[in-house]
Amino acid sequence: MQSAFRNAYHFTLSRYNLNPNSTVLQLVPVISTFSLLPSSVSKTLPFRSTLIASFSTTPMAGDDSDAPQTFPSLEKQFEKFRVQLEDSGNLRERIRAVVLEIESATRLMQASLLFVHQSKPIPEVLEKAKAQIDALKDLYSKLAEVIRECPGQYYRYHGDWRSETQMVVSLLAFMHWLETGTLLMHTEAEEKLGLNDSDFGLDVEDYLVGICFMSNEMPRYVVNQVTAGDYDCPRKVLKFLTDLHAAFRMLNLRNDFLRKKFDGMKYDLKRVEEVYYDVKIRGLATSGDSVGEQGIQGQS
Amino acid sequence: MVVWCFSATFGRISLVSWLTMASKFKPHRLPPSADACLPLESSTKRARTMMSTHSSIKDAFSSYADYLNALNEKRERVVKASRDVTMNSKKVIFQVHRISKNNREEVLEKAEKDLAAVRDQQISRLVKELEGTDFWKLRRAYSPGVQEYVEAATFFKFCKTGTLLNLDEINASLLPLSDPSREPLQINLLDYLLGLADLTGELMRLAIGRISDGEVEFAESICRFVRDIYRELTLVVPLMDDTYDMKTKMDTMLQSVVKIENACFSVRVRGSEYIPLLGSSDPSSFLLRVSDAEL
Repeated sequence: MQSAFRNAYHFTLSRYNLNPNSTVLQLVPVISTFSLLPSSVSKTLPFRSTLIASFSTTPMAGDDSDAPQTFPSLEKQFEKFRVQLEDSGNLRERIRAVVLEIESATRLMQASLLFVHQSKPIPEVLEKAKAQIDALKDLYSKLAEVIRECPGQYYRYHGDWRSETQMVVSLLAFMHWLETGTLLMHTEAEEKLGLNDSDFGLDVEDYLVGICFMSNEMPRYVVNQVTAGDYDCPRKVLKFLTDLHAAFRMLNLRNDFLRKKFDGMKYDLKRVEEVYYDVKIRGLATSGDSVGEQGIQGQS
Repeated sequence: MVVWCFSATFGRISLVSWLTMASKFKPHRLPPSADACLPLESSTKRARTMMSTHSSIKDAFSSYADYLNALNEKRERVVKASRDVTMNSKKVIFQVHRISKNNREEVLEKAEKDLAAVRDQQISRLVKELEGTDFWKLRRAYSPGVQEYVEAATFFKFCKTGTLLNLDEINASLLPLSDPSREPLQINLLDYLLGLADLTGELMRLAIGRISDGEVEFAESICRFVRDIYRELTLVVPLMDDTYDMKTKMDTMLQSVVKIENACFSVRVRGSEYIPLLGSSDPSSFLLRVSDAEL
Protein backbone atom coordinates (compact mmCIF):
# COMPACT_ATOMS: atom_id res chain seq x y z
CA MET A 1 0.00 0.00 0.00
CA GLN A 2 2.83 2.34 0.94
CA SER A 3 4.64 1.76 -2.33
CA ALA A 4 1.52 2.46 -4.30
CA PHE A 5 1.22 5.78 -2.55
CA ARG A 6 4.84 6.46 -3.24
CA ASN A 7 4.38 5.74 -6.90
CA ALA A 8 1.33 7.89 -7.07
CA TYR A 9 3.16 10.67 -5.30
CA HIS A 10 6.02 10.55 -7.73
CA PHE A 11 3.73 10.08 -10.63
CA THR A 12 1.75 13.19 -9.91
CA LEU A 13 4.91 15.16 -9.21
CA SER A 14 6.69 14.12 -12.35
CA ARG A 15 3.53 14.46 -14.37
CA TYR A 16 3.29 17.92 -13.07
CA ASN A 17 6.76 18.86 -14.21
CA LEU A 18 6.39 17.27 -17.63
CA ASN A 19 3.48 19.44 -18.53
CA PRO A 20 5.08 22.34 -20.39
CA ASN A 21 2.23 24.65 -19.63
CA SER A 22 1.98 24.20 -15.93
CA THR A 23 4.02 25.96 -13.38
CA VAL A 24 5.00 24.10 -10.26
CA LEU A 25 2.24 25.78 -8.43
CA GLN A 26 -0.61 24.23 -10.12
CA LEU A 27 -0.34 20.97 -8.30
CA VAL A 28 -3.70 21.42 -6.77
CA PRO A 29 -5.32 22.76 -9.91
CA VAL A 30 -3.96 19.83 -11.86
CA ILE A 31 -5.34 17.44 -9.35
CA SER A 32 -8.48 19.45 -8.97
CA THR A 33 -8.73 19.59 -12.71
CA PHE A 34 -9.49 15.93 -12.45
CA SER A 35 -12.24 16.75 -10.12
CA LEU A 36 -13.50 20.00 -11.48
CA LEU A 37 -13.66 19.76 -15.23
CA PRO A 38 -17.22 19.66 -16.47
CA SER A 39 -18.20 16.07 -16.73
CA SER A 40 -19.03 16.53 -20.36
CA VAL A 41 -15.31 16.64 -21.06
CA SER A 42 -14.51 13.12 -22.02
CA LYS A 43 -10.78 13.52 -22.14
CA THR A 44 -10.59 12.58 -18.47
CA LEU A 45 -11.11 8.98 -19.42
CA PRO A 46 -7.87 8.49 -21.35
CA PHE A 47 -6.18 10.74 -18.82
CA ARG A 48 -7.18 8.52 -15.93
CA SER A 49 -6.17 5.34 -17.68
CA THR A 50 -2.69 6.75 -18.28
CA LEU A 51 -2.60 7.62 -14.62
CA ILE A 52 -3.43 4.10 -13.62
CA ALA A 53 -1.07 2.59 -16.16
CA SER A 54 1.77 4.68 -14.83
CA PHE A 55 1.23 3.39 -11.35
CA SER A 56 3.31 0.37 -12.20
CA THR A 57 5.86 2.00 -14.45
CA THR A 58 7.01 4.96 -12.39
CA PRO A 59 10.24 4.11 -10.64
CA MET A 60 10.54 4.58 -6.92
CA ALA A 61 13.25 7.14 -6.97
CA GLY A 62 14.93 9.27 -4.40
CA ASP A 63 13.67 10.25 -1.04
CA ASP A 64 10.02 10.03 -0.25
CA SER A 65 7.51 10.28 2.51
CA ASP A 66 8.72 7.10 4.15
CA ALA A 67 12.21 8.41 4.80
CA PRO A 68 13.13 8.40 8.47
CA GLN A 69 13.55 12.18 8.57
CA THR A 70 10.46 14.19 7.82
CA PHE A 71 12.19 17.46 7.10
CA PRO A 72 12.87 17.33 3.35
CA SER A 73 9.50 16.02 2.25
CA LEU A 74 7.58 18.05 4.82
CA GLU A 75 9.26 21.25 3.78
CA LYS A 76 8.94 20.39 0.14
CA GLN A 77 5.24 19.79 0.42
CA PHE A 78 4.64 23.02 2.27
CA GLU A 79 6.81 24.96 -0.12
CA LYS A 80 4.58 23.70 -2.91
CA PHE A 81 1.54 24.72 -0.93
CA ARG A 82 2.92 28.18 -0.36
CA VAL A 83 3.56 28.67 -4.03
CA GLN A 84 0.09 27.41 -4.98
CA LEU A 85 -1.58 29.66 -2.48
CA GLU A 86 0.43 32.64 -3.64
CA ASP A 87 -0.77 31.93 -7.13
CA SER A 88 -4.39 31.70 -6.11
CA GLY A 89 -3.90 34.88 -4.10
CA ASN A 90 -2.60 36.64 -7.20
CA LEU A 91 -5.51 35.35 -9.17
CA ARG A 92 -7.86 36.72 -6.59
CA GLU A 93 -6.23 40.12 -6.82
CA ARG A 94 -6.70 40.17 -10.56
CA ILE A 95 -10.31 39.19 -10.11
CA ARG A 96 -10.78 41.99 -7.58
CA ALA A 97 -9.35 44.50 -10.00
CA VAL A 98 -11.84 43.53 -12.70
CA VAL A 99 -14.69 43.44 -10.22
CA LEU A 100 -13.89 46.96 -9.08
CA GLU A 101 -14.25 48.11 -12.65
CA ILE A 102 -17.52 46.24 -12.95
CA GLU A 103 -18.67 48.01 -9.84
CA SER A 104 -17.85 51.43 -11.23
CA ALA A 105 -19.59 50.72 -14.55
CA THR A 106 -22.59 49.53 -12.56
CA ARG A 107 -22.62 52.72 -10.56
CA LEU A 108 -22.67 54.78 -13.73
CA MET A 109 -25.56 52.71 -15.05
CA GLN A 110 -27.41 53.08 -11.79
CA ALA A 111 -26.91 56.83 -11.68
CA SER A 112 -28.35 57.28 -15.17
CA LEU A 113 -31.28 55.06 -14.33
CA LEU A 114 -32.12 57.19 -11.32
CA PHE A 115 -33.48 59.77 -13.76
CA VAL A 116 -36.59 57.68 -14.28
CA HIS A 117 -37.73 58.78 -10.87
CA GLN A 118 -37.60 62.34 -12.12
CA SER A 119 -39.80 61.58 -15.12
CA LYS A 120 -37.14 62.03 -17.67
CA PRO A 121 -38.32 60.31 -20.87
CA ILE A 122 -37.51 56.65 -20.72
CA PRO A 123 -35.75 56.23 -24.07
CA GLU A 124 -33.31 58.98 -23.15
CA VAL A 125 -32.55 57.46 -19.78
CA LEU A 126 -32.17 54.02 -21.27
CA GLU A 127 -29.79 55.21 -23.93
CA LYS A 128 -27.34 56.51 -21.39
CA ALA A 129 -27.63 53.45 -19.22
CA LYS A 130 -27.26 51.10 -22.16
CA ALA A 131 -23.90 52.60 -22.98
CA GLN A 132 -22.54 50.81 -19.95
CA ILE A 133 -23.72 47.40 -21.06
CA ASP A 134 -20.94 47.04 -23.58
CA ALA A 135 -18.38 48.02 -20.98
CA LEU A 136 -19.83 45.40 -18.67
CA LYS A 137 -19.75 42.81 -21.39
CA ASP A 138 -16.05 43.45 -21.88
CA LEU A 139 -15.35 43.32 -18.19
CA TYR A 140 -17.14 40.03 -17.75
CA SER A 141 -15.22 38.53 -20.63
CA LYS A 142 -12.03 39.74 -18.94
CA LEU A 143 -13.20 38.00 -15.79
CA ALA A 144 -13.95 34.85 -17.74
CA GLU A 145 -10.45 34.95 -19.17
CA VAL A 146 -8.89 35.17 -15.73
CA ILE A 147 -10.96 32.27 -14.47
CA ARG A 148 -10.15 30.21 -17.51
CA GLU A 149 -6.65 29.83 -16.11
CA CYS A 150 -7.96 27.55 -13.40
CA PRO A 151 -10.78 25.60 -14.97
CA GLY A 152 -13.53 24.40 -12.72
CA GLN A 153 -12.85 26.89 -9.96
CA TYR A 154 -15.64 29.33 -10.83
CA TYR A 155 -17.29 28.68 -7.50
CA ARG A 156 -14.06 28.94 -5.58
CA TYR A 157 -13.87 32.64 -6.40
CA HIS A 158 -17.58 33.19 -7.00
CA GLY A 159 -18.01 35.20 -3.81
CA ASP A 160 -15.74 37.87 -5.21
CA TRP A 161 -18.18 38.88 -7.92
CA ARG A 162 -21.45 37.65 -6.49
CA SER A 163 -22.96 40.85 -5.11
CA GLU A 164 -21.77 42.98 -8.02
CA THR A 165 -23.35 40.57 -10.46
CA GLN A 166 -26.61 40.59 -8.55
CA MET A 167 -26.67 44.39 -8.83
CA VAL A 168 -25.92 44.22 -12.54
CA VAL A 169 -28.78 41.78 -13.10
CA SER A 170 -31.18 43.98 -11.17
CA LEU A 171 -30.32 47.02 -13.27
CA LEU A 172 -30.54 45.10 -16.53
CA ALA A 173 -33.90 43.66 -15.52
CA PHE A 174 -35.21 47.08 -14.58
CA MET A 175 -34.08 48.51 -17.88
CA HIS A 176 -35.63 45.60 -19.74
CA TRP A 177 -38.89 46.17 -17.93
CA LEU A 178 -38.89 49.89 -18.67
CA GLU A 179 -38.42 49.06 -22.32
CA THR A 180 -40.74 46.10 -22.78
CA GLY A 181 -42.81 45.65 -19.65
CA THR A 182 -41.63 42.06 -19.40
CA LEU A 183 -39.29 40.16 -17.17
CA LEU A 184 -35.72 39.64 -18.24
CA MET A 185 -35.08 35.90 -18.27
CA HIS A 186 -31.97 34.20 -17.01
CA THR A 187 -30.84 33.23 -20.49
CA GLU A 188 -31.50 36.74 -21.77
CA ALA A 189 -29.48 38.23 -18.94
CA GLU A 190 -26.63 35.86 -19.74
CA GLU A 191 -26.73 36.92 -23.32
CA LYS A 192 -26.69 40.61 -22.55
CA LEU A 193 -23.52 40.15 -20.57
CA GLY A 194 -21.94 37.85 -23.09
CA LEU A 195 -21.85 34.95 -20.67
CA ASN A 196 -22.52 31.31 -21.36
CA ASP A 197 -23.07 28.30 -19.20
CA SER A 198 -20.20 26.18 -20.35
CA ASP A 199 -17.51 28.78 -19.85
CA PHE A 200 -18.40 31.51 -17.38
CA GLY A 201 -22.08 31.53 -16.65
CA LEU A 202 -24.59 33.53 -14.70
CA ASP A 203 -25.42 31.70 -11.52
CA VAL A 204 -29.16 31.12 -11.29
CA GLU A 205 -29.33 32.21 -7.67
CA ASP A 206 -27.46 35.42 -8.49
CA TYR A 207 -30.00 36.08 -11.23
CA LEU A 208 -32.93 35.48 -8.86
CA VAL A 209 -31.49 37.78 -6.20
CA GLY A 210 -30.96 40.41 -8.88
CA ILE A 211 -34.63 40.15 -9.84
CA CYS A 212 -35.61 40.65 -6.20
CA PHE A 213 -33.45 43.77 -6.06
CA MET A 214 -35.25 45.02 -9.14
CA SER A 215 -38.62 44.57 -7.50
CA ASN A 216 -37.38 46.75 -4.66
CA GLU A 217 -37.23 49.63 -7.13
CA MET A 218 -40.85 49.28 -8.22
CA PRO A 219 -42.68 50.95 -5.33
CA ARG A 220 -40.54 54.04 -5.56
CA TYR A 221 -40.94 54.20 -9.33
CA VAL A 222 -44.69 53.85 -9.15
CA VAL A 223 -45.03 56.56 -6.51
CA ASN A 224 -43.00 59.00 -8.54
CA GLN A 225 -44.82 58.19 -11.76
CA VAL A 226 -48.17 58.84 -10.16
CA THR A 227 -46.91 62.09 -8.69
CA ALA A 228 -45.84 63.09 -12.18
CA GLY A 229 -49.30 62.28 -13.52
CA ASP A 230 -48.93 58.82 -15.04
CA TYR A 231 -51.99 57.17 -13.53
CA ASP A 232 -51.80 54.08 -15.67
CA CYS A 233 -48.45 53.00 -14.31
CA PRO A 234 -49.68 51.40 -11.07
CA ARG A 235 -51.93 49.01 -12.91
CA LYS A 236 -49.12 47.80 -15.15
CA VAL A 237 -46.61 47.55 -12.35
CA LEU A 238 -49.09 45.73 -10.15
CA LYS A 239 -49.81 43.15 -12.80
CA PHE A 240 -46.13 42.63 -13.42
CA LEU A 241 -45.19 42.35 -9.80
CA THR A 242 -48.11 40.05 -9.04
CA ASP A 243 -47.03 37.69 -11.79
CA LEU A 244 -43.45 37.89 -10.63
CA HIS A 245 -44.35 37.15 -7.04
CA ALA A 246 -46.53 34.26 -8.10
CA ALA A 247 -43.71 32.85 -10.15
CA PHE A 248 -41.31 33.17 -7.24
CA ARG A 249 -43.73 31.28 -5.04
CA MET A 250 -43.12 28.27 -7.26
CA LEU A 251 -39.58 28.07 -5.93
CA ASN A 252 -38.71 25.99 -2.89
CA LEU A 253 -36.33 28.28 -1.16
CA ARG A 254 -34.30 27.36 1.86
CA ASN A 255 -33.58 29.89 4.58
CA ASP A 256 -30.84 31.81 2.87
CA PHE A 257 -30.22 35.25 1.43
CA LEU A 258 -32.44 34.63 -1.59
CA ARG A 259 -35.29 33.65 0.70
CA LYS A 260 -34.91 36.86 2.65
CA LYS A 261 -34.99 38.93 -0.51
CA PHE A 262 -38.04 37.09 -1.74
CA ASP A 263 -39.79 37.81 1.52
CA GLY A 264 -38.99 41.48 0.93
CA MET A 265 -40.78 41.32 -2.42
CA LYS A 266 -44.03 40.83 -0.56
CA TYR A 267 -43.71 44.32 0.89
CA ASP A 268 -42.91 45.83 -2.48
CA LEU A 269 -46.07 44.24 -3.84
CA LYS A 270 -48.09 45.54 -0.91
CA ARG A 271 -46.81 49.06 -1.44
CA VAL A 272 -47.65 48.99 -5.14
CA GLU A 273 -51.14 47.70 -4.31
CA GLU A 274 -51.63 50.63 -1.97
CA VAL A 275 -50.62 53.10 -4.65
CA TYR A 276 -52.92 51.43 -7.15
CA TYR A 277 -55.75 51.59 -4.64
CA ASP A 278 -55.13 55.27 -3.98
CA VAL A 279 -55.26 56.01 -7.66
CA LYS A 280 -58.28 53.81 -8.35
CA ILE A 281 -60.62 55.03 -5.64
CA ARG A 282 -60.03 58.57 -6.64
CA GLY A 283 -61.08 57.66 -10.15
CA LEU A 284 -57.75 58.76 -11.50
CA ALA A 285 -56.92 55.45 -13.13
CA THR A 286 -57.82 55.17 -16.78
CA SER A 287 -60.12 52.47 -18.15
CA GLY A 288 -59.10 49.02 -19.34
CA ASP A 289 -58.84 47.89 -15.78
CA SER A 290 -60.22 44.39 -16.09
CA VAL A 291 -56.82 42.80 -16.00
CA GLY A 292 -55.79 45.04 -13.13
CA GLU A 293 -58.91 44.26 -11.13
CA GLN A 294 -58.35 40.60 -11.54
CA GLY A 295 -54.91 41.23 -10.22
CA ILE A 296 -56.31 42.96 -7.14
CA GLN A 297 -58.98 40.36 -6.51
CA GLY A 298 -56.60 37.55 -7.17
CA GLN A 299 -54.40 38.79 -4.36
CA SER A 300 -55.05 37.43 -0.90
CA MET B 1 -53.75 31.15 -28.83
CA VAL B 2 -52.16 30.95 -25.46
CA VAL B 3 -54.24 27.89 -24.69
CA TRP B 4 -52.98 26.35 -27.87
CA CYS B 5 -49.46 26.98 -26.76
CA PHE B 6 -50.17 25.08 -23.63
CA SER B 7 -51.85 22.23 -25.37
CA ALA B 8 -50.75 18.68 -24.94
CA THR B 9 -48.93 18.87 -28.24
CA PHE B 10 -46.04 20.48 -26.42
CA GLY B 11 -44.49 18.66 -23.53
CA ARG B 12 -43.74 21.19 -20.83
CA ILE B 13 -40.03 20.74 -21.20
CA SER B 14 -40.10 21.22 -24.91
CA LEU B 15 -42.12 24.39 -24.40
CA VAL B 16 -39.51 25.70 -22.04
CA SER B 17 -36.67 24.88 -24.36
CA TRP B 18 -38.60 26.38 -27.24
CA LEU B 19 -39.20 29.53 -25.28
CA THR B 20 -35.58 29.81 -24.28
CA MET B 21 -34.61 29.23 -27.88
CA ALA B 22 -37.09 31.82 -28.95
CA SER B 23 -35.65 34.36 -26.59
CA LYS B 24 -32.27 33.78 -28.19
CA PHE B 25 -33.72 34.34 -31.62
CA LYS B 26 -35.31 37.62 -30.54
CA PRO B 27 -38.46 38.79 -32.34
CA HIS B 28 -37.09 38.41 -35.83
CA ARG B 29 -36.55 34.76 -36.48
CA LEU B 30 -39.28 32.73 -34.88
CA PRO B 31 -40.17 29.17 -35.70
CA PRO B 32 -43.31 29.51 -37.83
CA SER B 33 -45.54 27.70 -35.35
CA ALA B 34 -44.61 30.18 -32.66
CA ASP B 35 -45.86 33.23 -34.48
CA ALA B 36 -49.22 33.05 -32.87
CA CYS B 37 -47.82 32.93 -29.35
CA LEU B 38 -45.02 35.45 -29.30
CA PRO B 39 -45.60 39.17 -29.41
CA LEU B 40 -45.49 40.78 -32.85
CA GLU B 41 -44.93 44.42 -33.63
CA SER B 42 -48.58 45.35 -33.52
CA SER B 43 -51.02 47.38 -31.50
CA THR B 44 -52.17 44.35 -29.59
CA LYS B 45 -48.58 43.70 -28.69
CA ARG B 46 -49.07 44.73 -25.11
CA ALA B 47 -51.94 42.36 -24.37
CA ARG B 48 -50.23 39.49 -26.11
CA THR B 49 -46.95 40.34 -24.43
CA MET B 50 -48.58 40.13 -21.07
CA MET B 51 -50.30 36.84 -21.77
CA SER B 52 -47.28 35.11 -23.20
CA THR B 53 -45.01 36.78 -20.68
CA HIS B 54 -47.20 35.24 -18.04
CA SER B 55 -46.75 31.80 -19.46
CA SER B 56 -43.09 32.24 -20.22
CA ILE B 57 -42.40 33.58 -16.73
CA LYS B 58 -44.15 30.58 -15.24
CA ASP B 59 -42.25 28.19 -17.41
CA ALA B 60 -38.93 29.84 -16.82
CA PHE B 61 -39.53 29.81 -13.10
CA SER B 62 -40.55 26.22 -13.12
CA SER B 63 -37.19 25.42 -14.67
CA TYR B 64 -35.47 27.58 -12.04
CA ALA B 65 -37.44 25.67 -9.40
CA ASP B 66 -36.25 22.37 -10.85
CA TYR B 67 -32.69 23.62 -10.84
CA LEU B 68 -32.86 24.82 -7.24
CA ASN B 69 -34.60 21.66 -6.06
CA ALA B 70 -31.97 19.47 -7.66
CA LEU B 71 -29.17 21.57 -6.20
CA ASN B 72 -30.62 21.66 -2.70
CA GLU B 73 -31.41 17.97 -2.67
CA LYS B 74 -27.91 17.18 -3.82
CA ARG B 75 -26.55 19.45 -1.14
CA GLU B 76 -28.62 17.65 1.51
CA ARG B 77 -27.34 14.26 0.43
CA VAL B 78 -23.77 15.50 0.40
CA VAL B 79 -24.18 16.91 3.91
CA LYS B 80 -25.52 13.59 5.14
CA ALA B 81 -22.66 11.69 3.55
CA SER B 82 -20.20 14.15 5.02
CA ARG B 83 -21.69 13.65 8.49
CA ASP B 84 -21.19 9.92 8.20
CA VAL B 85 -17.58 10.49 7.18
CA THR B 86 -17.11 12.70 10.23
CA MET B 87 -18.61 10.18 12.62
CA ASN B 88 -16.63 7.25 11.36
CA SER B 89 -13.39 9.21 11.12
CA LYS B 90 -13.82 10.19 14.76
CA LYS B 91 -14.13 6.51 15.60
CA VAL B 92 -10.79 5.87 13.91
CA ILE B 93 -9.23 8.66 15.93
CA PHE B 94 -10.58 7.22 19.18
CA GLN B 95 -9.22 3.86 18.17
CA VAL B 96 -5.74 5.24 17.54
CA HIS B 97 -5.82 7.06 20.87
CA ARG B 98 -5.94 3.69 22.63
CA ILE B 99 -2.41 3.03 21.48
CA SER B 100 0.26 2.18 23.98
CA LYS B 101 3.58 0.39 24.09
CA ASN B 102 1.88 -2.95 24.64
CA ASN B 103 -0.90 -2.98 22.08
CA ARG B 104 0.65 -0.92 19.31
CA GLU B 105 0.40 -3.47 16.55
CA GLU B 106 -3.17 -4.52 17.15
CA VAL B 107 -4.44 -1.00 17.67
CA LEU B 108 -2.83 0.16 14.45
CA GLU B 109 -4.03 -2.86 12.56
CA LYS B 110 -7.62 -2.26 13.57
CA ALA B 111 -7.27 1.46 12.89
CA GLU B 112 -5.96 0.75 9.42
CA LYS B 113 -8.91 -1.47 8.72
CA ASP B 114 -11.35 1.07 10.05
CA LEU B 115 -9.75 3.85 8.06
CA ALA B 116 -9.98 1.78 4.90
CA ALA B 117 -13.65 1.16 5.73
CA VAL B 118 -14.27 4.90 6.07
CA ARG B 119 -12.69 5.40 2.70
CA ASP B 120 -14.44 2.53 0.97
CA GLN B 121 -17.86 3.14 2.45
CA GLN B 122 -18.41 6.65 3.68
CA ILE B 123 -16.09 8.59 1.40
CA SER B 124 -17.24 6.41 -1.41
CA ARG B 125 -20.79 7.49 -0.74
CA LEU B 126 -19.71 11.11 -0.69
CA VAL B 127 -18.10 10.62 -4.07
CA LYS B 128 -21.28 9.05 -5.36
CA GLU B 129 -23.48 11.91 -4.16
CA LEU B 130 -21.21 14.53 -5.66
CA GLU B 131 -21.46 12.83 -9.03
CA GLY B 132 -18.17 14.30 -10.15
CA THR B 133 -19.39 17.92 -10.27
CA ASP B 134 -19.92 20.96 -8.07
CA PHE B 135 -16.81 20.24 -6.02
CA TRP B 136 -16.20 23.89 -5.26
CA LYS B 137 -19.86 24.87 -5.27
CA LEU B 138 -20.78 22.41 -2.54
CA ARG B 139 -17.49 22.55 -0.70
CA ARG B 140 -19.09 23.94 2.47
CA ALA B 141 -21.36 20.93 2.57
CA TYR B 142 -18.65 18.29 2.66
CA SER B 143 -15.63 20.19 3.99
CA PRO B 144 -16.13 19.22 7.66
CA GLY B 145 -16.27 15.54 6.78
CA VAL B 146 -13.21 15.74 4.59
CA GLN B 147 -11.30 17.63 7.26
CA GLU B 148 -12.14 14.98 9.83
CA TYR B 149 -11.02 12.27 7.42
CA VAL B 150 -7.72 14.06 6.81
CA GLU B 151 -7.31 14.34 10.56
CA ALA B 152 -7.90 10.63 11.05
CA ALA B 153 -5.69 9.55 8.17
CA THR B 154 -2.76 11.76 9.13
CA PHE B 155 -3.13 10.77 12.78
CA PHE B 156 -2.95 7.11 11.89
CA LYS B 157 0.00 7.64 9.53
CA PHE B 158 1.95 9.47 12.17
CA CYS B 159 1.40 6.80 14.77
CA LYS B 160 2.41 4.17 12.29
CA THR B 161 5.47 5.75 10.66
CA GLY B 162 6.18 9.04 12.41
CA THR B 163 5.73 10.96 9.18
CA LEU B 164 3.13 13.26 7.72
CA LEU B 165 0.71 11.85 5.21
CA ASN B 166 1.00 14.04 2.12
CA LEU B 167 -1.92 15.52 0.27
CA ASP B 168 -0.84 13.68 -2.87
CA GLU B 169 -0.78 10.38 -1.06
CA ILE B 170 -4.20 10.81 0.43
CA ASN B 171 -5.62 11.89 -2.92
CA ALA B 172 -4.05 8.94 -4.68
CA SER B 173 -5.85 6.66 -2.28
CA LEU B 174 -9.15 8.31 -3.18
CA LEU B 175 -8.74 7.99 -6.93
CA PRO B 176 -9.99 4.41 -7.19
CA LEU B 177 -13.25 5.40 -5.50
CA SER B 178 -14.44 7.44 -8.44
CA ASP B 179 -16.02 6.14 -11.54
CA PRO B 180 -13.47 6.52 -14.36
CA SER B 181 -15.91 8.50 -16.45
CA ARG B 182 -16.30 11.17 -13.81
CA GLU B 183 -13.97 13.67 -12.19
CA PRO B 184 -12.59 12.08 -9.05
CA LEU B 185 -13.00 13.69 -5.69
CA GLN B 186 -9.67 15.14 -4.71
CA ILE B 187 -9.17 16.81 -1.39
CA ASN B 188 -8.22 20.39 -1.97
CA LEU B 189 -5.39 22.19 -0.31
CA LEU B 190 -7.58 24.22 2.01
CA ASP B 191 -9.43 21.25 3.49
CA TYR B 192 -6.14 19.43 3.91
CA LEU B 193 -4.62 22.30 5.88
CA LEU B 194 -7.74 22.66 8.01
CA GLY B 195 -7.65 18.95 8.79
CA LEU B 196 -3.97 19.24 9.65
CA ALA B 197 -4.74 21.95 12.17
CA ASP B 198 -7.20 19.64 13.92
CA LEU B 199 -4.60 16.86 13.84
CA THR B 200 -2.33 18.84 16.13
CA GLY B 201 -5.06 18.93 18.77
CA GLU B 202 -5.34 15.16 18.71
CA LEU B 203 -1.57 14.84 18.84
CA MET B 204 -1.52 17.01 21.91
CA ARG B 205 -4.02 14.72 23.59
CA LEU B 206 -1.98 11.74 22.55
CA ALA B 207 1.24 13.23 23.87
CA ILE B 208 -0.26 13.97 27.27
CA GLY B 209 -1.73 10.49 27.39
CA ARG B 210 1.58 8.87 26.47
CA ILE B 211 3.42 10.86 29.08
CA SER B 212 1.13 9.63 31.81
CA ASP B 213 1.87 6.12 30.59
CA GLY B 214 5.54 6.80 30.80
CA GLU B 215 6.25 6.88 27.08
CA VAL B 216 8.21 10.08 27.26
CA GLU B 217 10.17 9.58 24.07
CA PHE B 218 7.06 9.05 22.04
CA ALA B 219 5.70 12.27 23.53
CA GLU B 220 8.87 14.09 22.63
CA SER B 221 8.74 12.88 19.06
CA ILE B 222 5.16 14.11 18.92
CA CYS B 223 6.39 17.43 20.24
CA ARG B 224 8.96 17.75 17.46
CA PHE B 225 6.43 16.78 14.83
CA VAL B 226 3.83 19.27 15.97
CA ARG B 227 6.45 22.00 16.13
CA ASP B 228 7.39 21.28 12.52
CA ILE B 229 3.81 21.41 11.35
CA TYR B 230 3.14 24.63 13.21
CA ARG B 231 6.24 26.23 11.78
CA GLU B 232 5.41 25.23 8.23
CA LEU B 233 1.84 26.35 8.58
CA THR B 234 2.72 29.85 9.74
CA LEU B 235 4.05 30.62 6.28
CA VAL B 236 1.13 29.15 4.46
CA VAL B 237 -1.93 30.09 6.49
CA PRO B 238 -1.95 33.83 5.76
CA LEU B 239 -2.20 33.04 2.05
CA MET B 240 -5.25 30.82 2.35
CA ASP B 241 -8.63 31.66 0.82
CA ASP B 242 -10.58 32.47 3.96
CA THR B 243 -8.03 32.83 6.67
CA TYR B 244 -10.43 33.52 9.52
CA ASP B 245 -11.13 29.91 10.52
CA MET B 246 -7.56 28.92 10.07
CA LYS B 247 -6.27 31.81 12.16
CA THR B 248 -8.25 30.68 15.19
CA LYS B 249 -7.02 27.16 14.59
CA MET B 250 -3.45 28.44 14.55
CA ASP B 251 -3.92 30.03 17.95
CA THR B 252 -5.29 26.78 19.32
CA MET B 253 -2.42 24.96 17.67
CA LEU B 254 0.15 27.10 19.37
CA GLN B 255 -1.55 26.39 22.68
CA SER B 256 -1.36 22.67 21.92
CA VAL B 257 2.33 22.93 21.12
CA VAL B 258 2.96 24.79 24.34
CA LYS B 259 0.95 22.22 26.32
CA ILE B 260 3.04 19.40 24.91
CA GLU B 261 6.25 21.28 25.53
CA ASN B 262 5.26 22.03 29.10
CA ALA B 263 4.30 18.44 29.72
CA CYS B 264 7.65 17.21 28.39
CA PHE B 265 9.35 19.81 30.52
CA SER B 266 7.46 18.74 33.63
CA VAL B 267 8.37 15.14 33.07
CA ARG B 268 12.02 16.00 32.72
CA VAL B 269 12.13 18.16 35.79
CA ARG B 270 9.70 16.42 38.07
CA GLY B 271 9.70 12.99 36.54
CA SER B 272 9.39 11.00 39.68
CA GLU B 273 5.91 12.36 40.30
CA TYR B 274 4.73 11.19 36.90
CA ILE B 275 6.44 7.86 36.53
CA PRO B 276 6.60 6.19 39.92
CA LEU B 277 6.84 2.69 38.43
CA LEU B 278 9.84 3.24 36.18
CA GLY B 279 13.04 2.85 38.09
CA SER B 280 16.38 4.34 37.19
CA SER B 281 17.56 0.99 35.91
CA ASP B 282 15.03 0.89 33.10
CA PRO B 283 17.04 1.72 29.97
CA SER B 284 14.25 3.85 28.55
CA SER B 285 13.91 5.85 31.71
CA PHE B 286 15.32 9.30 31.67
CA LEU B 287 16.20 8.67 35.30
CA LEU B 288 18.80 6.16 34.14
CA ARG B 289 21.87 7.93 35.36
CA VAL B 290 20.35 9.65 38.35
CA SER B 291 21.70 8.18 41.56
CA ASP B 292 19.27 6.92 44.11
CA ALA B 293 20.35 9.59 46.53
CA GLU B 294 18.94 12.29 44.30
CA LEU B 295 15.57 10.64 43.70
